[in-house]
Amino acid sequence: MKSLGKALRLCAFAVLAGSLFPALTATAAEKEVPKDIVLTGDAKCTTCHDENDSPEALRIGKTKHGTVADKRTPGCTNCHGESEKHVKEAGRGSGPTPPVDVGFTKKNLSSAEAQNASCLNCHQGSTRIFWQNSTHARRDVTCASCHSIHDSHDKVREAKSQPEVCSNCHKEQRAQFARPSHHPVPEGQMSCSSCHNVHGDNPSQLAKPSVNETCYSCHMEKRGPFVHNHQPVAEDCAICHNPHGTNVANLLKARAPYLCQECHSHDSHPSQLAGLPTDRTTSTSLLGTVGRGCLNCHTNIHGGNSTVNSATAGRFRR
Amino acid sequence: MKNFNTTFRLTAVAAAMLAAYGSAFAEDDDIKQLTKPDSSISVGAGYWSNDRPQQGVFDGMRDDHGYALIDADVVKRDDATGTWFKFKGDSLGLESRKISVEVQQQGNMGGFVNYSRIPRESPVEIRSGIRGVGSERMTISGAGANALPFHDVDLATYRDLIHVGFSKNLLKDVDVKLSFKNEEKNGSRHWGMGSQALFLAEPIDSTTQQLDVTLEYSGEKLQVAGGYAGSWYRNQNDMVFGRVNGAAQPGSTSSPNPVPLSLPLDNEAHQFFLNAGYSFTPSTRGTLKVSRSVATQDESLPSRNLAAPNNAFVGAPHKLDGEIVTSLVELGLSSRPTSKLSLNANLRYYDVDDNTPLVGLVGNNTTRVVTVHNTPHSYETKSGKFEASYLLPQRFKLIGGIDIKEQDRSAPKFVSERFVPFNEKIDETTYRVQLRRSMSETVNGSVAFLHSIRDGSSRVSPHDPEIFDTINPLHISDRTRNKVRLSMDWAPVEAFSMQFNVEDSHDDYAREDGRPFGLKDGRATLVSVDARYAVSDKWQVTGWASHDVTRAKQLAGRWAQNTGIFEMLKDAKLEDTGNSVGLGLRGAVSAKLQVGADVQWTRTESSYDEDTTLTGLGGLQATYPTSGGVTGRRLADIESTLTRLSMFARYAVRKNADVQLDLIHERWKTDDWTWSFADGSPFTYGTTTDGTTVSIKPKQVANFIGMRYIYKFQ
Repeated sequence: MKSLGKALRLCAFAVLAGSLFPALTATAAEKEVPKDIVLTGDAKCTTCHDENDSPEALRIGKTKHGTVADKRTPGCTNCHGESEKHVKEAGRGSGPTPPVDVGFTKKNLSSAEAQNASCLNCHQGSTRIFWQNSTHARRDVTCASCHSIHDSHDKVREAKSQPEVCSNCHKEQRAQFARPSHHPVPEGQMSCSSCHNVHGDNPSQLAKPSVNETCYSCHMEKRGPFVHNHQPVAEDCAICHNPHGTNVANLLKARAPYLCQECHSHDSHPSQLAGLPTDRTTSTSLLGTVGRGCLNCHTNIHGGNSTVNSATAGRFRR
Repeated sequence: MKNFNTTFRLTAVAAAMLAAYGSAFAEDDDIKQLTKPDSSISVGAGYWSNDRPQQGVFDGMRDDHGYALIDADVVKRDDATGTWFKFKGDSLGLESRKISVEVQQQGNMGGFVNYSRIPRESPVEIRSGIRGVGSERMTISGAGANALPFHDVDLATYRDLIHVGFSKNLLKDVDVKLSFKNEEKNGSRHWGMGSQALFLAEPIDSTTQQLDVTLEYSGEKLQVAGGYAGSWYRNQNDMVFGRVNGAAQPGSTSSPNPVPLSLPLDNEAHQFFLNAGYSFTPSTRGTLKVSRSVATQDESLPSRNLAAPNNAFVGAPHKLDGEIVTSLVELGLSSRPTSKLSLNANLRYYDVDDNTPLVGLVGNNTTRVVTVHNTPHSYETKSGKFEASYLLPQRFKLIGGIDIKEQDRSAPKFVSERFVPFNEKIDETTYRVQLRRSMSETVNGSVAFLHSIRDGSSRVSPHDPEIFDTINPLHISDRTRNKVRLSMDWAPVEAFSMQFNVEDSHDDYAREDGRPFGLKDGRATLVSVDARYAVSDKWQVTGWASHDVTRAKQLAGRWAQNTGIFEMLKDAKLEDTGNSVGLGLRGAVSAKLQVGADVQWTRTESSYDEDTTLTGLGGLQATYPTSGGVTGRRLADIESTLTRLSMFARYAVRKNADVQLDLIHERWKTDDWTWSFADGSPFTYGTTTDGTTVSIKPKQVANFIGMRYIYKFQ
């Protein structure tokens, strides 16, 4: 029995030794030719920036940039530059390590153009054709100002978290979204990019060439053309509405009759003084504020298709 | 022997294998965890203690009951082929659910199918005798014996969107993309009777479809994207009849019973577009944007064939043949001639040309005189922008620019059909200058100033110009705008950063002789502060506060009915104020327990300060008219406050599974009088008929508790 145990222990030792030997020799060999961990050619960087040093950097493997089967995907140096000085001097001497050629943090001195050029080398097409003329580009906003390239859950690409990123700069819009009437952006049902192409050069960086074309994407019933077009409706929805949020229902910038009286100077009930009726009434001179205000009667304010009765057809009542 | 075997397995073999491969396996596992896509499925339940009419408009959790909390984010990638398989389910147990399925071989081809539902539940409480909500024929409760039984009316609309997409790489740098959206909108929204202020609900059941086909070339220097975008709107209803129960039928021309109310008719648009950019050098790029779209509306006019008293003008067409042609041409140039100087220029031509034929739609069938035509509106806008920026020492950058806009506009042809002044030409010039410092480690900031002058000419007067032409409509009025914006980011140490932001915009509207009315001036001011402090690697605090004020000064008149005599001057100062504070805390109590808390407090105030001066002329020498013993009262200020405290705790029960507890306390308070009479009682439609009451719940307090199990895998 003892000899059997000895024999087995010897076998175990042999397995152990046999297993360790190639591992040890391989380790020696690998020291000479470092292996890539995630991206093609990343060994130049991951020799130092490995899972212990920079786990967050390796997370690029979770993203589309980390899909190496797609031969278009970059290696570290495609975005960060060859950074020879950084590679050569890192960890040597007591001074600070020279930065990589193109860095995307505040500590790196790369210009906005240099940072963006790294991305635009591959991503200049599609909706980013006009990036250089966009307000964002002209104000030194970099791709990395909004995007977390190494993060598989890039906040700005997800509807629920995108407004958090945009509001880093757009404080006015953040305040407006906190108002009682707003598009469902805080609820995550829409995002800023539902209406805006932040990489484009349309007015207000909208997704479409004009405010109305953008609004019609979802509110196509307002497009008409109607038999009776309400002029400001046909021109620009933002004359009456603030799409980010207001204190008045339906995103109106002001409530009736004030809003209507910004354009309409009129005799009779349209010139009524804003006020609340003391009781039930059918008097149009007392119903311009309460409820839907002027729209209590002028209910088709975005445009009407009625051919009935001249007094009502052209005044959006039917 | 048995003990020997066990001991042997647990010691020698295990030790041998572990020594040989254990560290390698662990290392591989670590690498895999860091580099392979993550997936998670979350299942749980939550409960709201009360209804949330205001806060639950969109989130699918309006009512006080339990909700299933189900989310999934499954991401798999076949590394050998680079093929992604994604399934994302968001709020699957709620009305506001989203589902997305995607398969993509990266660099080759892919497709996706998305589904989403956006609910919009009206925040007001409605009690009415109305029948037929959701249909084309509604009956309003009549007077006396014709009253109909009252019931709660819950108005809501739902958008169900299916979005299908496909993309394929055809050749090197050439891709084709297809996108098709089909959105079904269902439900009803708050509406009105039209000729009388009575309650109706507009049925919005309709289908919207959008097809986009884009061919893209993305070369090193040249990028082109061109294609087709088509969109179609189909309304399931084209006209609504609102009938007052018991009222005489068919009524008169001015007051028919039922009243026919038009709805938006089917329309469609087809667009061809081409976008291109060419990089002449690494620092000089030109762009071109061209598009042309034709939008039409040619459905039969449903009211054209109605019988008396709604019979149409005999000369009216049966279709509008509406057509709007929109053309866009844009040229852009950006260049960096030296390392310090950048230039941007842009020329744009945008033409919205309403080609709808001008026809008589309403008229006198005896005299054949047309009284109402359709109203096409066209706009041709030419604009140009030029901007230069120069890099100064210390990373300061000076930016200066000018925007010029010229717009030609149409006005209705017939003076009798112009109720407001029009302007056939508007010019606007904007100058901007900015000094900014960016890309610095500790202090970044900017100060920007904008000055804009808008003026117009070729004023087209409406009929009755002594009254109708005394106003400068806000969007065509001559205007001077000054805007200043200051922002500063300060990050003295890595763990702490602050942002300061001040914006002020002032619009001064011209008040020409003879046109004193309309907006006098407007002003918007915003001040905000944001801060972030990382107490340690595990704890972080964030906070922000903002204060904003929007003011408008508006002058208006009141004229007597029939005589048109000026009887009152109204000078209003309207002000909306918003104050918000947000605080957030995120931390790890231990390796297994993460906690977080957020507080949001927002108060909005609206004030309506208005001075009135009676002239002593005209028919009414009281501030408000009196009708049937009912008069008007001045508007009070409105204040609404939202306080929301949310907390979560997430505990790792296993390496790959967490449980999360969510708690929310939400408090909404308002004294909004929109749906109130002067004494605060709920607004009620009609006097003898209808009787629909509409109100807002002034205080809405609700608490939420939710628990979910989150399973994570790769």
